[in-house]
Amino acid sequence: MAGNPSAPMQAKLVLLGDMGTGKSSLVLRFVKGQFFEYQESTIGAAFLTQTVSVNDTTVKFEIWDTAGQERYHSLAPMYYRGAAAAIVVYDITSTDSFNRAKSWVRELQRQGNPALVMALAGNKSDKSDERKIPAEEASAYADENGLFFMETSAKTAANVNELFYEIARKLPKAAPTPAPAGGIVLNNQQNAQKKKSTCC
Amino acid sequence: MTGLVMTSRPVVSHETPEIGHQKPVSDGFSHTTRCTEAKASELSNLQPSLAALCNEEKTYQSAVVVYAKENIFVQPGIKCKRISGRLSLLKKAVDDVMFLAWLPYALNNTSDSATDDNKFVVISDGGPALSEASSTAESEKRDRTLYAVHPVPISDMRAVRRHTPTIGWHHIIIVLHTGLSLPPLYFTNGGVKDFLTVLKQHTCLVRSPDDPNLYLVNDIADPLQRSMTALDLLEVQNRAGWSESAGGSASLFVRGGKDDLDTPSPRDYSLGVLEHFSRVTKLARDTTAHIFGKDQGLDASTWPCEGEETLIKLNYPPQGMLAVNCADGEDEAPVLRVVQSDDDEAAPCDSDSQSRCDDGESASTSVGSFELLESERIVSSSKRIPSRAQRPFPLSVEEWCAFFEPDGRLADERGFRERAFYGGIDQNVRKEAWKYLLGYMPFNSTVAEREQIREAKKTEYDALKAQWQSISASQEKRFTKFRERRMRIDKDVVRTDRLLPFYAEEDNSNVELLRSILMTYTFYNFDLGYCQGMSDLLSPILYVMEDEVDAFWCFVGLMDVMESNFHRDQNGMHSQLQSLKKLVQLLDPQLHCYLEKMDCLNYFFCYRWVLITFKREFEYSLVLRLWEALWSKHLCEHFHLFVCAAVLQKHRRAIIHGEMEFDTLLRFINDLSGKIDLEVALYDAEMLFQYAGEAGQEVLPTSGP
Repeated sequence: MAGNPSAPMQAKLVLLGDMGTGKSSLVLRFVKGQFFEYQESTIGAAFLTQTVSVNDTTVKFEIWDTAGQERYHSLAPMYYRGAAAAIVVYDITSTDSFNRAKSWVRELQRQGNPALVMALAGNKSDKSDERKIPAEEASAYADENGLFFMETSAKTAANVNELFYEIARKLPKAAPTPAPAGGIVLNNQQNAQKKKSTCC
Repeated sequence: MTGLVMTSRPVVSHETPEIGHQKPVSDGFSHTTRCTEAKASELSNLQPSLAALCNEEKTYQSAVVVYAKENIFVQPGIKCKRISGRLSLLKKAVDDVMFLAWLPYALNNTSDSATDDNKFVVISDGGPALSEASSTAESEKRDRTLYAVHPVPISDMRAVRRHTPTIGWHHIIIVLHTGLSLPPLYFTNGGVKDFLTVLKQHTCLVRSPDDPNLYLVNDIADPLQRSMTALDLLEVQNRAGWSESAGGSASLFVRGGKDDLDTPSPRDYSLGVLEHFSRVTKLARDTTAHIFGKDQGLDASTWPCEGEETLIKLNYPPQGMLAVNCADGEDEAPVLRVVQSDDDEAAPCDSDSQSRCDDGESASTSVGSFELLESERIVSSSKRIPSRAQRPFPLSVEEWCAFFEPDGRLADERGFRERAFYGGIDQNVRKEAWKYLLGYMPFNSTVAEREQIREAKKTEYDALKAQWQSISASQEKRFTKFRERRMRIDKDVVRTDRLLPFYAEEDNSNVELLRSILMTYTFYNFDLGYCQGMSDLLSPILYVMEDEVDAFWCFVGLMDVMESNFHRDQNGMHSQLQSLKKLVQLLDPQLHCYLEKMDCLNYFFCYRWVLITFKREFEYSLVLRLWEALWSKHLCEHFHLFVCAAVLQKHRRAIIHGEMEFDTLLRFINDLSGKIDLEVALYDAEMLFQYAGEAGQEVLPTSGP
């Protein structure tokens, strides 16, 4: 089933991170290939989908892009619940955002799905002259916590697709039937019929 | 029932006892006979029933033109001169019964040109109209009378056939349930599709499976539509009304409904309809000739209830004025007499929400649940709702000035609020008017008092601003909270409405003002701090005020109302979304059931709508219009929730049919941004508000926005 390109594996992916780190921009770059210098803030949440092929598997990402401000933290569990993958984003020019990323990682480790594929994305790599977080530091932190790490730039598109492709590769190839509480949602006949393949 | 043959329903008072073509019967259902078969004895029964109707009729306030298209013509014959007129769809404000009419220009009340929207056609009073048209040649006049389509209830329409030849005029032919076809209506400059679109908004219109150019109206043979029609209040009302007591008064109505239920299939219907087309010209001519041929002899005195009928204007917006008070017949206002009453006292309505939930398609027109309206509630609302076309122009500078007393007090607060609600406010007036709407300036303040307030507020603002400006860099290092707030504000102001010229370009001073005002606000309301969404709320205010101090205090006024939206515990948002849930449950139980089934009752898919009051959903100028309508609090403080409900209802079909789950629903709602017709939404929201009545008020939040 997983190898059948006509029946993509559906994977819920959530982006978390401090406000202004570029979550929406990463999604927009990945899904639509666009970038806006003044991407407006996300109010509530946004939902987008994008399908990628990795080797012999097609993965349809169902992407939840969330509001970053800590004030709206209480909404987050609604969006990461049942996620197969999470991208925790920080801004390489902001120490605060890196600290916030760490707290997201802790929260996901504590409450999320144990099989969750977690990525740490150091965004705005195009602004390396304003860098506050050395790549080595983030990489070491990622290793310690079992995440995979990439520095990205939604602006230049550097590593954006790679980030998502890497997640797709790391998703369990033949995940078991998802538990009610989530995990990866395998495509089945019903879903295939009900949900037309949509791509923003 | 068989033998239902009628021409146009006698909704409008062309019928007189002499030419009445229906006979009242006492068995609770209306029977009609052809005009020629009407017996004098039967006709004599008509008189009391009309009188009864006219009494009931007083409940009406008005009818609303929801669609009008000029220069639609009828071609009586190949060599005949075409007759141009206006095609319109009218809606009675009281019970939303829709009518279609085409009236030739020469039949207009006066000799006004058809383009003069402030004049109205005489729909009822054939006598005077005809006498004024007496300068026209007799034959032409007869033709005009002959072909006029006097208001026909849309529920009497069976189908609309669209003809769009590559050469020649596009036209439509409307077929009634009775089999009668109205004369082909030619559209001189296109617009058939628009007409169908509008019609579709007000009735169930489905394309025939057998013929793409044939549109079936209220085709209850279709199971989906059947369930919808079953909920059609009009049908329910009438049937129940007749079967109970209505007797005489209801006897004027002809409902095709009972017959329709026997209809086997849509296919049969469309075939039948096609057959009827052959009868178009002759029958139309014969029947209309019979009805209206005697119009010249029609004397006002023959009208049974002369002097008692309620006058109904078809209001177009009278140049910048509210078209609200329209019941009294000014001399220049031609009138429409409506003798039909669908408001039987019983006003039975399918109030069984469960049944609505069960049948998949209950109120599936794009205007949502208006079929579900209980007339009782609507009737109780004494005021009609100005339609979109009737919404007045924005409050102008002249009007604004007229609101003030010599000492500068705003005299008529309620009038102003109502005016702002319906028409919005001219851009040149906003700067002053918003100060009142947002509580910055008191309504009863004089010019001198306002100057004092302004002075004091400026001083206070400067002091607040100085507080954060005086924090040094070294101080900031030890002041995490301050640093965080500044950083958040910095991040958001540079991405707020930057496509708008007012905020565009690098180093824009208005972006700096956004920053200053928000920073100052976090010192004004330190406990609340800065929250994402605030920059969205401030942006239009600064845009309108063009002044830092005024914008700040207006923003304070807005935040006083909106503050709970931004509380950390989400209590404000939670209570509003819960109220929205209850509203939808009240107004559209089927949609509610669906959302419940999909586990979407937290209504988080409407989060953005509510948090920043649709700021992201409309283009900028429309946001200003919406906000001032909401701030006017003309109807209630929580009108935005009715707007939410109205927009949801508008898309109920897509939501339910699309089997949307929380994720797809949220995406769908987000993607509606830029696609919502604001005036439609405001209009629908007001309808829902009126419908919900006290029950609606009860579910609203007790405070907050």
